[in-house]
Amino acid sequence: MTDVLLILFGTTMLYVFAAGRIEAYIKTLSLQGLLLFFLVLANIPELNWLNLTFLVVETLLIKAILIPYFLLTVIRRNEIGREVEPDISQFYSLLFSVLIFMFGFLVAYWAASIESTILPLYFGVSIALIIASLFLIVTRKRIITHILCYMMLENGIFLLSLSVAGEMPMLVNLGVLLDLFVGIYLLVIFFNKIQSMYDGSHIDILTELKD
Amino acid sequence: MLGIIILSPIVLGIAAISLRSHLMNRIALVGSALINVLALLVWWSGYRAHGLPGWLASYLSIDAMAFYFLAIMSLVYFGSTIYTLTYFKEHHFSAKQETLFVSVLMFFLSAMIGVVTAHHLALLWVFIEATTLTSALLIYFEQRKASLEAAWKYIYICSVGIALAFVGIIILSIGSKNVGTLFFNDLYHGAAGCNQFWLKLSFAFIIVGFGTKIGVAPIHAWLPDAHSEAPSPVSALLSGTLLNTAFLGLVRVYNIMKYAELQNFANILLLLTGFMSLFVCAVFMLQISNYKRMLAYSSIENMGLLFIGLALGGPGVFAAFLHACAHSISKTCLFLTSGNILSLYGSKQIKQVKGMIFSQPLTGWLWLISFLALAGMPPFPIFLSKFLLISAFIKADLTLLIIPFFLCLIVIFYGMGGTVFNMVFGSPGTLPTASARLSPSAFIPQLVLLMILLGIGVHLPPYFLNFLQDAVQFLKP
Repeated sequence: MTDVLLILFGTTMLYVFAAGRIEAYIKTLSLQGLLLFFLVLANIPELNWLNLTFLVVETLLIKAILIPYFLLTVIRRNEIGREVEPDISQFYSLLFSVLIFMFGFLVAYWAASIESTILPLYFGVSIALIIASLFLIVTRKRIITHILCYMMLENGIFLLSLSVAGEMPMLVNLGVLLDLFVGIYLLVIFFNKIQSMYDGSHIDILTELKD
Repeated sequence: MLGIIILSPIVLGIAAISLRSHLMNRIALVGSALINVLALLVWWSGYRAHGLPGWLASYLSIDAMAFYFLAIMSLVYFGSTIYTLTYFKEHHFSAKQETLFVSVLMFFLSAMIGVVTAHHLALLWVFIEATTLTSALLIYFEQRKASLEAAWKYIYICSVGIALAFVGIIILSIGSKNVGTLFFNDLYHGAAGCNQFWLKLSFAFIIVGFGTKIGVAPIHAWLPDAHSEAPSPVSALLSGTLLNTAFLGLVRVYNIMKYAELQNFANILLLLTGFMSLFVCAVFMLQISNYKRMLAYSSIENMGLLFIGLALGGPGVFAAFLHACAHSISKTCLFLTSGNILSLYGSKQIKQVKGMIFSQPLTGWLWLISFLALAGMPPFPIFLSKFLLISAFIKADLTLLIIPFFLCLIVIFYGMGGTVFNMVFGSPGTLPTASARLSPSAFIPQLVLLMILLGIGVHLPPYFLNFLQDAVQFLKP
């Protein structure tokens, strides 16, 4: 069950590489949140009510519903349709994504051979997700895509922390969640300001400050 | 005591939000600074019994190193709050705007105190990210196009960087399965039994992540933008305290590496980034056109010096900690004075400001003396810290590295000195002379801070030396 979910998770990332519509990105983000929720459910050893509630709130409510909804309203209000011409064409970025996944799995199997507690599929998918999101941040040009890729990066990190299975204290979990939520909120506020102040949402317009 | 230090800014911030009056904002500003300084004085005078209650005390507490950095922070914070009063007076913001500034500043302060006092690696991460989020709002406070761009770059680059640091923390927890927690003390005790490969990998991630926040090259892209576009008292806080607090986080992680006998690996990374920062600063310093950006690049250089000192070990660590204090104070003076220049001349361009000494003698002298303090002229303490760095190079058998070290420092001194002297003594020619007068509170913080710096440099008071040494001893030798 976990393996199927993980493979689905990896596939969502491939979809992002191929997709051009921003709305598709956001829907993928929401799907990723949902998958994370199931992954958490599948992996929880015993039902501790406090922990479970927290994880449900974090994955289902915030990652799968609240943040995607929030971002969707933003792009509908600003009438953003597609990613503008990326630096690298869709075909080549798909090719790169395959390389990234290969690299992720190679690292994972190699890591699992050193440290027996590591689950290779978990580890590989999350490493690939992290690298893939960084790759997307570098190659895509729209500011809103940057926010989305930051969320995907966070999802990858969340998956990585699940694969380690070491429990973080509640206090820390809460802090991380709060930071993430406020971070996205602020990024969107700034995004809206940029949109209205510069009349566009392209990173190429942010070139006033340089040496 | 720590409870008061952390919670008082939050309470004052909430009070400011709920009252939204000019008076309350000023009370909150001065009050938070006073409480901070007084609480630290009380703690220092020996009243250390009352930490946080129960289990919270294991997460947050004041140790020797935290105290040292808290002391620097409270000095810098005090200076910039007094200056903020002038800033408010000159700009005539509405009560609502002022409230936004003050309340966010309060949250920023308590997040920074959290970073310094956190004893749990992941909690430290949470607080560092919280400082990013709060200070981004302060950078955008003047709501100009440029400040929006700076704030965006700052929050985005730092968030991604800090996310990578979290990857490092997760990897660290893979490597420290034998320890099982992320409390620094447990990690120090169990470090010898940790998996060395994972520790190395995690340190590489953490140095990238925290390094983004510290602003060392090559991950410094946000720093010149943010420091130059923020309001001057905020620039002073960013450069004087925020960089230091993130550095402290890195020092705590570096200590794990020392306990795990991996300091050679860590030192190479630190030296590499340190020298790269010096180099980047030297390159940009020669063609700089904006004096606030000049100060920002100099922050990159000084953070590089801290890295180098930490890597050299022995007298280098002492030098690095002394340098952290002296740099914070002198850079605060420079940034606050740059606020004066900005309000007098209305431009951040170097070529618009000439001959300050003739039209604005006090600002001119402050600019010059603060620069000399930062550049390490005796008797200012940076002279001592740079001198100790050189001796640390010799002691670590890295004498050859002194050559590039000096070359970079000389180029930076030449670039920055030329600019500063031109601004102070150059003939104004046809440029408009600034005849406006600033209120005394625009000078007092810098004067007081410079006096303190001079006191440290000339006399090196024994109590200061004591808690500096206590802080240094926190690191495993």
